[in-house]
Amino acid sequence: MEAGQRSLPGAALAGALALAAALAACGPRADDLPLQVEGGVPVGAVLSLTSNANAYGQDQQIGLELAQAWHQKRRKADSPGAPELSLRLEDGGGDEATATQAFNLLIDAGVVALVGPTLSQQAFAADPIAQRRGVPVVAPSNTATNIPQIGGFISRVSAPSTEIAPLSIAKALELNPSIRRAAVFYAQDDAYSTSESAIFQKALADKGLKPVTVQRTQLNDQDFQNQITGALRQTPDLIVISAQAVDGGNLIRQLRELGYKGSIVVGNGMNTPNIYPICQAYCDGILIAQAYSPELDTPMNREFVALYKLAKGGAIPPQLTAQAFSAYQVVAEALQRLNKRQPLSQFSLADARKALMAELLSGRYDTPLGEIAFSPDGEVVQQRFHVAQVQMKPGSLNGRFALLP
Amino acid sequence: MVHLLQILINGLASGAVYALFALGYTLVFSVLGVINFAHGAVFTIGGYLTYLLIGGAVGANGLLAGLQLPLALPFWLALGLAGAGSALVSLVVEAVAFRPLRKRQAEPLLSLISSLGAGVVLVNLVQLLMGAESYSIPSSTLAGLPAALNLGGAQIRTVQLLLLLVATLLLVLLTLWLEGSRGGKALQAVSEDPVTARLLGIDSGAMIRLAFAVSGFLAGVAGGLVGLSVSIAGPYFGIGYGLKGLGVLVLGGLGSVPGAVLGGLIVGLAEALVPSDFSGYKDGVAFAILFLVLLLRPRGLLGKPLASKV
Repeated sequence: MEAGQRSLPGAALAGALALAAALAACGPRADDLPLQVEGGVPVGAVLSLTSNANAYGQDQQIGLELAQAWHQKRRKADSPGAPELSLRLEDGGGDEATATQAFNLLIDAGVVALVGPTLSQQAFAADPIAQRRGVPVVAPSNTATNIPQIGGFISRVSAPSTEIAPLSIAKALELNPSIRRAAVFYAQDDAYSTSESAIFQKALADKGLKPVTVQRTQLNDQDFQNQITGALRQTPDLIVISAQAVDGGNLIRQLRELGYKGSIVVGNGMNTPNIYPICQAYCDGILIAQAYSPELDTPMNREFVALYKLAKGGAIPPQLTAQAFSAYQVVAEALQRLNKRQPLSQFSLADARKALMAELLSGRYDTPLGEIAFSPDGEVVQQRFHVAQVQMKPGSLNGRFALLP
Repeated sequence: MVHLLQILINGLASGAVYALFALGYTLVFSVLGVINFAHGAVFTIGGYLTYLLIGGAVGANGLLAGLQLPLALPFWLALGLAGAGSALVSLVVEAVAFRPLRKRQAEPLLSLISSLGAGVVLVNLVQLLMGAESYSIPSSTLAGLPAALNLGGAQIRTVQLLLLLVATLLLVLLTLWLEGSRGGKALQAVSEDPVTARLLGIDSGAMIRLAFAVSGFLAGVAGGLVGLSVSIAGPYFGIGYGLKGLGVLVLGGLGSVPGAVLGGLIVGLAEALVPSDFSGYKDGVAFAILFLVLLLRPRGLLGKPLASKV
């Protein structure tokens, strides 16, 4: 057969495909279709399950799994008519491109809301997509400034660094009023660390402490000998670190090994038990402000802690797990209220997303973090914050964030 | 003066690790003319094996959650066995990702991509089995030694000094073996001219396997040592070293053992020379040097000119 000729079945197939494409183009847009309720209302989650941020994603995945189980149990017991949720989880990796791709995939699949992504750096790239498509986002762990300000569909349950970070500086100065020389370390290639470090530096300046040195690191750095020996020449008595768990944990270990004996304040990126095996006994004594305390004595938190302990052999839940749980809970409860007002099956997908966002922002939620609500621009309004000091068990790779009064 | 000594020590300590890592790349490249991108994953496995062999327990995630081997070997023995285990993994990579393509005389680029695939699969397997959390070889492993030493006013962590000494010892042993033993000379012969080597009765397949085994051993030992120094930062912790090692390999000259050592030390020293306040840009400085060297000397510092294919 000569090139250019086409067999009859081939031509028919091509024609059928063209017709199908034309019909598809004329048909209703996916957003205009009714919201899928049968088999569960689809909710998406984008977490860092691979890459160097995977330890965070792992903690968050447990939070979502526990929230799913908790919601199903509560739905059967208290509100049998409440909508069932179907969670679809995608890996967001540790970079912007993977998170963006995962957002697009889930939005195209028709999710009514998104939980994620794990890193602030990713949120600045992925959230604008959700905003353009009109999909509500509840961020479980983004703490950089201006995340909810990306747009009206973006909210978070993770309190921003501006509220939390200064508390630990104040506590360090309260514990040791003779502190005069502060050194600052931060990961310059990470939006969260850069943003948080600026807040730390302002908090130091407000207390009359101008940093004697500011050392810039990178997330993938593991050897800090150069920066540490440079900083220690300035004889600091307080070191303030904004980094993620792995690089920050290594930094603390190497600071102590190289002889630094002063106070250490760390930021939210190190707010995870995953730092214990890295800095080991050297983690002892570091100060950190937290948005979650496992010791918070409310019925909801007691239930959450019990669920976590049951699932993880008696371990204490970390903040990231509690925040991921809370993010899912917020979406589930907002959908439940919306369904009471008007059955979800009567909404188109686009209208459901819009109505859900309004419902989500207007509610109050009794979560493991305590009672939370949202400001009109999607910022979490949370009453309780805590400052903790790491206490390592002697001779062990385990420890705890002990709350300070 | 003390400041300069500190820079020298910082640079040598980092450079020794880069050199050790790049040597594994170099050995395989010298016999196959292809970069083994699974090398970083083998490095990672070396770190995890060392951790398990000293009696470390698997965390709460992953299929092996809670597993702890019924033994707790001394660190140096565990490190040697982890090197041997990594050598076996490297042989599997050769059998799966390289040999089938070599037999079909596929383009070298395909082997490079298949090794990249093998590396990704290995890293994912580690995550599946061990979870994503970090593991650490306890500081008590070096009980009795101080955490840091003062050398003429310059500070160095003891573990980094040990790393420097072990890396130097391995580099010397490897050079002696390559230059002074029948196996080493046979490997060099295959590297220089596989056809003539075959005519001389050298089994080139066995030599390729030998190169992978030695390369895997070096990667495994480097992984264990780095794990001791800075912890095993999750399944991806070999990836950063893989990129740096690749730069060192090219800087020193593809396939050159002394070049890998020289390249490693130059990159380490260049990073240490960056003022500490600007250390966040040290990777940029290291790769800028690589770029400049390649502009002036495309074959790298000690690389040989490519043979004419006429």
